[in-house]
Amino acid sequence: MLHNPSMNSNTKNHAMVLQQLQSLLPSECLITDGPGLRPYETDGLTVIREMPWVVVLPETESQVVAIMRICREQGVSVIARGAGTGLSGGARPHNDGVVLGLSKMNKILHIDVDNRVARVQPGVRNLAISQAAQPHGMYYAPDPSSQIACSIGGNVAENAGGVHCLKYGLTVHNVLGVRVLTSDGDVMEIGGALYDNPGLDMLALLCGSEGMLGIVTEVTVALLPEPEKKSVILAGFRQVTDAGNAVASIIGAGIIPAGMEMMDKLAVEAAEQFAHAGYPLDAAAILIIELDGAAAELDAVTHQVIGHLQACGAYQIDQADDAQTQARLWKGRKSAFPAVGRLSPDYICMDGTIPRHKLAQVLTQIDTLSKAYDLAVANVFHAADGNLHPLILFDANVPGQTDHAMAMGSEILRCCVAAGGTVTGEHGVGVEKLDTMCVQFTAEELDQFFRIKDAMDPSGILNPGKGIPTLTRCGELGGMHVHKGRLPFPELERF
Amino acid sequence: MSGDLSSQFTEVVKNAYAAEQGLVICGHGSKGAWLPEIDLNNTQRLDVTRHSGIQAYQPEELVITARAGTALDEINRVLAAEDQMLACDPPRFQSVKADVMVGDNAGGTLGGVVATGLSGPGRPWSGAVRDAILGVELVNGKGEYLKFGGQVMKNVAGYDVSRLQAGAWGNLGVLASISIRVHPRWQEQVTLVFQMSAEQAQKKCLRLAQQNLPLQGTCWQGGVLYLRLAGHASGVAGAKLALGGETMQQTVDGSFWSDLRDHRVDFFQPKDDVQKIWRLVVPSAAPLPGAWLSSEDLLIEWGGGLRWLRHADEAAVKAHAKSVGGWCWAKGEQMPIDAVQGRYMNELKRAFDPKNIFRSAMSLQHAD
Repeated sequence: MLHNPSMNSNTKNHAMVLQQLQSLLPSECLITDGPGLRPYETDGLTVIREMPWVVVLPETESQVVAIMRICREQGVSVIARGAGTGLSGGARPHNDGVVLGLSKMNKILHIDVDNRVARVQPGVRNLAISQAAQPHGMYYAPDPSSQIACSIGGNVAENAGGVHCLKYGLTVHNVLGVRVLTSDGDVMEIGGALYDNPGLDMLALLCGSEGMLGIVTEVTVALLPEPEKKSVILAGFRQVTDAGNAVASIIGAGIIPAGMEMMDKLAVEAAEQFAHAGYPLDAAAILIIELDGAAAELDAVTHQVIGHLQACGAYQIDQADDAQTQARLWKGRKSAFPAVGRLSPDYICMDGTIPRHKLAQVLTQIDTLSKAYDLAVANVFHAADGNLHPLILFDANVPGQTDHAMAMGSEILRCCVAAGGTVTGEHGVGVEKLDTMCVQFTAEELDQFFRIKDAMDPSGILNPGKGIPTLTRCGELGGMHVHKGRLPFPELERF
Repeated sequence: MSGDLSSQFTEVVKNAYAAEQGLVICGHGSKGAWLPEIDLNNTQRLDVTRHSGIQAYQPEELVITARAGTALDEINRVLAAEDQMLACDPPRFQSVKADVMVGDNAGGTLGGVVATGLSGPGRPWSGAVRDAILGVELVNGKGEYLKFGGQVMKNVAGYDVSRLQAGAWGNLGVLASISIRVHPRWQEQVTLVFQMSAEQAQKKCLRLAQQNLPLQGTCWQGGVLYLRLAGHASGVAGAKLALGGETMQQTVDGSFWSDLRDHRVDFFQPKDDVQKIWRLVVPSAAPLPGAWLSSEDLLIEWGGGLRWLRHADEAAVKAHAKSVGGWCWAKGEQMPIDAVQGRYMNELKRAFDPKNIFRSAMSLQHAD
């Protein structure tokens, strides 16, 4: 099954699969009609759509196990889906596959205060975990911007990040255990309320595997004590490079902020119009910095950070200790995407990550690309961890402009790889970045990924065609990463 | 002596692949005592210690990239000069075999740190070795030189092959280069000392873990609880005031935690041939061992999540670990691998090493 891009399952099995699903599931857990299927034709990457063949919404793990058995036996692919907020098309359906929606498995099973973990079903919303832990003075740290809607199962699949990653890590750092169902029908309990586990770290492998290695049916997450106090600082700069230097200066001084966000002029203008957060409209870039921790040290660290901002040329600095002002300072950043959405009929959000010291170089390259493609770009940037979110503005109603914007996005990601970064920091590859994966990885590396997939999912039914591009696809693109002048796998046909 | 031997590694592995000959990957051998015996018939030793040297380090990027044979001591020295440290604070053990001693730098290599995945006393608060890994370059069992991850904090391109190497004990490939996250060095460190029973200590640690405190280590042994507070000076001072207790003398403070981490404290010295030292990883709030264990034979770290037991009755220790939802492992033994998970782990090994060239002493086969 190596290198099989998609399960080309035989339609003759469909009637049998449907019949078995109907006898397994109550009618409200099975969607087969057109209007009912419509919401599932896309995830958060709305430029790519395809109607699913059928959607199942199991309520129990045993139903998931039975669905998997039916699909395996009939060779039908299974596309796991959480809340459908993913931004790379990881949950894009197949017209002959089963979409396995896990939204009904949404129970918080146990908040274990003493061991500081929560055991939850995959459909539980990210924010709901923190809300359930809040009475105990604890919370779940990773906070992707969609946290109000996105599910923890989807977070595991994408190894979701957020604005607090430098200090608190990604999903992989905060998930301690999973129950996972393989396509072969094995249910494994990996990890738990434990700090390490024997053997290969399959938990790390599953985080970010985009539903291609297994289906998570339960998640154990770490809970942290809520910070005693927070401090939020807004700083305006006349030069983008000054803002970049301030980031390096703060981190170089041994300070790890809870969050450190950068926005460029266009993003600031859009956000300010939308949210009235009080951002300086004449700034070339702003930084929003959140510090948290014990009250005893927070004042001292805040003072230190302000010193670095001033030394790096910040001309406006606002600092807030109270929750209301902090919320206002954050509001602009948190509404940046919808705000930019008002500037233009459509936009796509890129997700490259670069070493922080390459920021000025990559932003200059993005500016050049923006002019060359004649498409505006607003930059929102998780500055603390080098994760860029350039928003490319375009109009899908103009013929060819969607492809034009996607092509520009690919070029931005190539710049990120060339700067020593990666094509995706937190949104995942899905279908969106399959082509740019060819830039980042050699044929041998892609082949290694396929072997991993084959080890975990030998029948190849889990979310086929996502995440890892085939060698044929890379060959066709001409973007094949040729190592030391040798074309790998010369025996393979490329057409 | 340092240099880039990666092309030599790929040649050695390619030849071994062609000849179906086993390779035993060796670093300093500092964790040799932890490994079970291995059949060395028809195997060749692949020494990685001369594949060393720091390849990239910019302190404000919070990451260091070094060849896998680079000595842990060297990494620590370079980081300390920039007021940084490895957050996972991996143990530095002594080499046990004379033939793998390499000058003064025999306290383990960076590759060994990753391959064994053993973390120091700060694990619950500063993360494990696997948490700190950002990228690896490795030679797989076919002799292919592969790069995964990178030097950036966030990276979800492809499966996380980098973190999969932590605790893989060399089963999947020859680690060649590693990018690992670093952390600012603590401005201040204080150790508080409290006289109390193991039960009282456990309760106290569970309560403190729910508060905003700069905790970076806990250790209970012999009726004494030690708490390490570390981080920003003002935060440490505030916590010290709030918690009370006696303060350990500054001169012994630093070495107390490194002696504990490196198993130089008395507890870890072999007493007799009968009692093994068991490493139990359990939920922090799990019940303590009952009357069957003398409290002198118990040492508790990680706020309750890591317990060291000295005991002769293997069955009793294993039954206890299982009953409290954890697992246990003794020096020189195979780790317990679940039957179903073991099957997938072996498939994953085959995915990297189809001809089983890499003969790790730490097996992935199912064992209780």
